[in-house]
Amino acid sequence: MYKSIIKTMKDVPLEEFYTSGHRTCQGCESAMVMRYLAKVAGPRTIVVGATGCMYVANTTYYTTSWVVPWVHTQLGGSGAAALGTSAALRALMRKGKIKEEPINVIVFCGDLGCADMGLSGVSNAMTYDYNLLIVLYDNESSANTDIQETSMTPYGAQTSFSRPGTARRIMKRRWKKSVVPMIIAGHRNIRYAATTTPAYPLDTMNKIKKALEIGGPTFIHSLDPCPKGWDYDPMYSHELGTLSVETGLWPLYEFVDGKLIYNEPTKGIVEGRVKRKPVREYLEKQGRFSHFTEEDYEYFQKMVDEMYTSWEIPGVMPIKSVIK
Amino acid sequence: MAHGEDVKYVEITYRGIFQKRLAKYIAEGLVYMAREMGRSAVSFGRYGDSPERNGVPAKYYVALGSLNEEELIGYSTRVEPETVDVIVVLDDTLLKGVESWAWQGVQPINLKLKEGGAMIVTSTRNLEELVKVTPAKEFRWDMGRINVEKSFSGLWAFKDDMTMERVWGAIAKMRPDIVDLEHVRTYVKEHKKDRVNERLSAVEEAYETLVVKSMAPKEGAEFKYSPPRLLTWQEMMEGAAVPAVPRGGRNEQFKRGTTKTERPTVDFDTCIKCKLCWVYCPDECFDETKDGYYDIAYDYCVGCGICADVCPVKNCIVMVNEGRFKDYRRPYEMWKEDKVAYKSWLKQVREGGVKERVVVPGLGR
Ligand code: SF4
Ligand code: SF4
Ligand code: SF4
Repeated sequence: MYKSIIKTMKDVPLEEFYTSGHRTCQGCESAMVMRYLAKVAGPRTIVVGATGCMYVANTTYYTTSWVVPWVHTQLGGSGAAALGTSAALRALMRKGKIKEEPINVIVFCGDLGCADMGLSGVSNAMTYDYNLLIVLYDNESSANTDIQETSMTPYGAQTSFSRPGTARRIMKRRWKKSVVPMIIAGHRNIRYAATTTPAYPLDTMNKIKKALEIGGPTFIHSLDPCPKGWDYDPMYSHELGTLSVETGLWPLYEFVDGKLIYNEPTKGIVEGRVKRKPVREYLEKQGRFSHFTEEDYEYFQKMVDEMYTSWEIPGVMPIKSVIK
Repeated sequence: MAHGEDVKYVEITYRGIFQKRLAKYIAEGLVYMAREMGRSAVSFGRYGDSPERNGVPAKYYVALGSLNEEELIGYSTRVEPETVDVIVVLDDTLLKGVESWAWQGVQPINLKLKEGGAMIVTSTRNLEELVKVTPAKEFRWDMGRINVEKSFSGLWAFKDDMTMERVWGAIAKMRPDIVDLEHVRTYVKEHKKDRVNERLSAVEEAYETLVVKSMAPKEGAEFKYSPPRLLTWQEMMEGAAVPAVPRGGRNEQFKRGTTKTERPTVDFDTCIKCKLCWVYCPDECFDETKDGYYDIAYDYCVGCGICADVCPVKNCIVMVNEGRFKDYRRPYEMWKEDKVAYKSWLKQVREGGVKERVVVPGLGR
């Protein structure tokens, strides 16, 4: 069905459409997702970016690292901007003002701009039949403006809003929200949604490719290790990405036309062939969890275990009704 | 007398995020000490450096003078002061130039230094070596070196290794008109309750052992810098649109290679052309060569070390201290030119320039 799946590293297109000279942190994985996305989407693409790291870092005083057109929209405006851009392109083509051809519309928004305050707009965009892809780059905080808590911040993590206190060690007490299940459960018209992390480049690129080929409103949620917000040496970005999957905390899957497919190690984990690594291995490598005690590690592990032992759709969600 | 002449500035140049708190605490201390000495003082970060990014050079300032604090704040509400009296450099690889925001270009580290000013560098390299990479000035000035490793930690962690105290001691030695030793001592005694004796001896030690060199006019490295001319609004494209990078190009106006403290060196003789370094580089630094190797655009590399981490061949990519390199010459072309010479060059730069990267989880504040 998908003619052009990238099977090996050798098949990855060489040309960059998001290139060097941006102002992200050393070892920023979100920058890598942008690069993969632009690479796979190719030259006939418009990228819309909501305020966040990837906006501030890529428009540095009258310079840019973009090769394809990129438009900035305000923090909560990603959904509306995507819809508007896509609708405008369709109208222009219908009126014969521009050549009729496929043009990708991709929105790149952070966890605050997409899953948190921007979610209503995103949800609205998902209910129309325009071709657009919304990519949520999730660094689990508002890292751009110096790391404030969002609804994507994991349990217990330190942010500038949730520093451990003396009376209370754990200031972030809510569990991270699952966005893809919410999107697929709430928007029955969408044909493709997936989770990914750039530590698995081929998986990430193929998911972007599939989303763009299937068309309609599509959604990808990418977990991007962020050395600034997570507090680790930038060298270990890739390792943290793989650990997030291997510990089962960040399951990789895609929802295609009503079917659920697990990918990479998550497939083995769900099928019982691969043993999950203790989630502690992932947590203890990051400064934001450095205040954790045995009790916290145990609680965290218990919550992750539940995803696989008692959820109806393991790793994805506790209810089953939306999957055919 | 014009007000401006009363104001003195201390500039603290540091690696964004890693040394953010260190720089802030140094500045904070200076403000308190100056006030104790009967002057008004304020500290502020350079506007354009925020939000900070890991490794990207950033600056913090202290302004002190005999005007009142409100006026001083007025003086300080600008991107950065025109000239400074003292520069503190918290990582010696910053001596090669700093580029924080695109429109400034790669600035020489001592661009703003006044005639007769002082620059204090934290480094374990000897002063002669540092002089070779430090940009020359037209006039006489002083360079001091405190013998400490750069103190890097994470965002939440502050590495309390007495670098702060040493910097104060060094300023007191070189510029007692900014803060004198007596006031540094008093500040440490009054504000730091733990390990106070250790702190006081760090101050004394820096004061006693500081190596200072008087730099003659034109002494040091040649550094070509012409500040980029900023476009006026009439010259910008409609809607302040920014021209895209042409296909196959890179963002020429913002190279940011000055972000790195280490750079990846490649042993092409052992490379298996697996492509992993290329695919995992978040800064798009690798160029595929015709024969399938991966060459690095060092002027864009930020030294994150991911390529070295993912490379499956042992010692094929190794991170080496940036201080050991003079230019941004690409490795592949050097290797092609003379493979034997390249190998011995590689051996030489790696010797002593390689450090174990410690996993640096913060300490929870
Ligand atoms: S704060 Fe995080 S997401 Fe933002 S540029 Fe830095 S590493 Fe990337
Ligand atoms: S260290 Fe390696 S991965 Fe990091 S920016 Fe430089 S070339 Fe790219
Ligand atoms: S990762 Fe290492 S072995 Fe693979 S292509 Fe790069 S340098 Fe060669």
